Amino acid sequence: MSYSKENVESIVNNGISRRSFLKGLAASGVLSSFPGGILQANEDLNTKIPYLGEKSYQTFRNACPRNCYDTCSIKTYVKDGVMQFIEGATESTYTHGGCCVKGNTYVKRVYSARRLKYPMMQVGGKGSGNWKRISWDQAMDIIAKKLLEMKKEDGTLLGAALTKYSGNFGITHYGIEGMFNSIGYTTRLAGTPCWPAGIDAQNLDMGDMWCNDPEEMKDSKFIILWGVNPASNSIHSMKYIYEAKKKGAKVIVIDPVFTEAASKASQYIQIKAGTDGLLALGMAKIIIDANLHDQKWLDANSKGYKEYKAYLDKEVKLDNVSKITGIPLAMIKELALSFAKAKPATIWMGYGMQRHTNGGSMIRAIDAFVAVSGNIGKYAGGARYGHLNTWGFNYAALSMPKPEGSVGYTGPEGAKGDVAQGKDAKSNYTDRFLNINKTARELINAKEPKVRLLWVACKNVFAQDFDRNQLIRAFQQLDLVVVADQFFNETAKWADIVLPVATQFEEYDVNVSYWHYWLTLNEQAIKPLFEVKSDLEIAAMLSKRMNQLQAGSCTFPQSVDTKAMMAKEFNPGIYEQFGIKSWEELKNGPVKAKAVIPYADGKFKTPSGKFEFYSDKALELFGSALPTYLEVRKPYDKFRMTSPHSRWSLHSQFQNLEWMEDVHPEPYVYINPDDAEAKMVKEGDTVAVFNKQGLLRLKAKLTDNVQAGTVLMYEQWYNNNIYNVNELVDDTSSDMGAFKTGAPGVALHDTFVNFRKL
Amino acid sequence: MQTIQPQNALRLDDVKHLRDIFNAQNSQELKRAFDALHSCIEISEEDLEVQFNRYFIGPMEPIADPFASIYIDDPDVVMSKSTLHVRELYETMGFTNPLKNIIPDDHLGVELDAYYQLLYLEEAKGITYLSDLRHYFLHEHLSLWVPRFIARALEHSEHDSKAMTFILLQLKSLLIRETTTQGVTA
Repeated sequence: MSYSKENVESIVNNGISRRSFLKGLAASGVLSSFPGGILQANEDLNTKIPYLGEKSYQTFRNACPRNCYDTCSIKTYVKDGVMQFIEGATESTYTHGGCCVKGNTYVKRVYSARRLKYPMMQVGGKGSGNWKRISWDQAMDIIAKKLLEMKKEDGTLLGAALTKYSGNFGITHYGIEGMFNSIGYTTRLAGTPCWPAGIDAQNLDMGDMWCNDPEEMKDSKFIILWGVNPASNSIHSMKYIYEAKKKGAKVIVIDPVFTEAASKASQYIQIKAGTDGLLALGMAKIIIDANLHDQKWLDANSKGYKEYKAYLDKEVKLDNVSKITGIPLAMIKELALSFAKAKPATIWMGYGMQRHTNGGSMIRAIDAFVAVSGNIGKYAGGARYGHLNTWGFNYAALSMPKPEGSVGYTGPEGAKGDVAQGKDAKSNYTDRFLNINKTARELINAKEPKVRLLWVACKNVFAQDFDRNQLIRAFQQLDLVVVADQFFNETAKWADIVLPVATQFEEYDVNVSYWHYWLTLNEQAIKPLFEVKSDLEIAAMLSKRMNQLQAGSCTFPQSVDTKAMMAKEFNPGIYEQFGIKSWEELKNGPVKAKAVIPYADGKFKTPSGKFEFYSDKALELFGSALPTYLEVRKPYDKFRMTSPHSRWSLHSQFQNLEWMEDVHPEPYVYINPDDAEAKMVKEGDTVAVFNKQGLLRLKAKLTDNVQAGTVLMYEQWYNNNIYNVNELVDDTSSDMGAFKTGAPGVALHDTFVNFRKL
Repeated sequence: MQTIQPQNALRLDDVKHLRDIFNAQNSQELKRAFDALHSCIEISEEDLEVQFNRYFIGPMEPIADPFASIYIDDPDVVMSKSTLHVRELYETMGFTNPLKNIIPDDHLGVELDAYYQLLYLEEAKGITYLSDLRHYFLHEHLSLWVPRFIARALEHSEHDSKAMTFILLQLKSLLIRETTTQGVTA
């Protein structure tokens, strides 16, 4: 028997042949003879000419929910249920029709063969690599039974811990915390590893963390990018910076590392890490001495200026500032005076700067400098750090009541993360809060009851938390670790159960930014692949099983529709702020909040209602009312190690994709040529980088982009490499963070290492 | 119904059991389908599944992904051009796929299901209307990637598993038999 390839291809590709063939198929009775299997006989054959199938595009509104300034508004093109490509939404002047190279991988990310596909259980013990599939029902049964067993034995559910952070910042993803709220009082890894010291600093100074619209920067006359690298990490902001520069504005980058943004600036100033606060204090002293400070604004809007000035007069010596920061005094003076003379002038402070033991104090010092210059409350001015001003949703998915009779922790209450969860007003109990920035030691040390179950969601603990070796010990002592994720990362390796989670294209959600002022609908564009579920659906399934086993043991809805849950997040305040009547309007594209200039009305949410140079709260909590110079952590090894964000990844996301592996296949340690020469290390040599925490082996790249005395390694998770910079980072705290986020930040840039050629 | 020739009944059984192996959703289904191949290999349900997952499923990167697109289009993604080509073939064969856009159409288990059903029509029902399409599917698609899939899985001797080797060799035999003994060459 033979067959004709051409005939078959004609049937498949030629409309007339195809129609004729299918009509014959229908008439012949063949369809009723199929034995049946996964594929079924199609009783409704499409014989249209021309045959287009489902070949027209459907478009959907989506948002990039990653932990990124830019939170892009996305338009997704789908054909026959398959994502074809995405583009940045043109309706948003911020996204401006283009995503970053990471965002442009989304089709490949969604359809990556490496995605987690099924619920699975590790049967040979954590880290064994022996996995078997389990159904969702089995997974929920195991988890529900464990929770109820713990509740029975301990009398509480405080033995169940949740660690969740920024893997998906969609508003409905706070339903993960809602799931834990709905089972009782539990243990939470609280705080944020991201920006807590700076949040505290801005709250102490201004009573809020609230920044001007980044789109205003196009009209700024002087921009300092202080420890921030938007050319890599907020590319959509760069167009405003370029426009300002084109119009004559000075753009200065102050950073210990010569970054991509530095290469685009009018001037780059290399500063010794951890001395930025002192530079800001020196700059303030210079403009005050030159009588370029805004006395009128200070008189009307500030508290404690007199004490602050007295501190500068007495304690801040400009020669010392120059010596300690490593910046020539003339350059400092020129910088300070130029800034003061330009109006409006603005400073954008990055998050890396506050990841030092003196990080909060440095943000306070820069806030104070901007205030002295009279640029707070001004269009295109401001001390920019971030904001949550557009995040006033209902948090309906989060706000689940505790089951009746729940018993919890009786310790102190307070804010516990970006979206505060205070004490239940009707109860004497709270959840138990452990410091997320000391996850390993907190999990090990928690007693009465000890932590036995850990649920990990929207977070790659091993890539983002500190002291990898202690983390392994912590995970090994837990009875049950559940990791809900999209990819098999190092955290999943140490799980008992992995649950495959939907991407944003497989669920509904709504997104805003902590930087710009746009609101974006996220529509479900495709069916969830394989057996993946949204975090909300997982919560609902757990609720269903818990209630089957013990009625009333979980208050989370037992079935959810992500679209309906998303709709519940809107309220009149959001509608008013964004000038819409219904969330349905967002189907036409993202919308921007009504323009407002932070603090333009002179109203600050501090106790005094003014900008507080002198803060009683700061004195009470951190021992210093004023933004003073606090010396950074002393070196404990030969080289400072800095581990900033990479442009090829977003924390632990994206680097694992083939697209990124092509351009950046492996990690490197970046070493200053002088330091390399002293250690006889050449470009491409494999070196061991080590300290009291651990040791990493990787190739060296030599560059004077990093200062002598400093080595740089990016914070990334590689799919095909054991590299993890947190092998070397301990969990030493930064100075602030506990005030507004429940736990101090971590001083990860105050890590010290040595290295040698291998 | 026509009488099935013994050698054709064997062909049908082999395709069916291999299909069921790659579509198994748990240890029991996998073991049942594996045992139906008469391997004589003693292995527990759990060990069989652990090994199967390490080779073909995950959650860690498996040795060989069972999707055509990985070998034809792009080594890292599913649902690409060849997946949609297979989708068109299914539609022309008269199939509807309840798992459309959930499981990639070119998953080995789904493709073996299509092949089994087409072969069944011919050998059990004597219906040859779709015979050309079956041969096309075999020679122009399955033969294009399944040998590469088998080779990739077999070359990783560090994960040596008698059971997986058996499955892969059965699949290889099936493909050779189907492409050569029917008198049709590509």
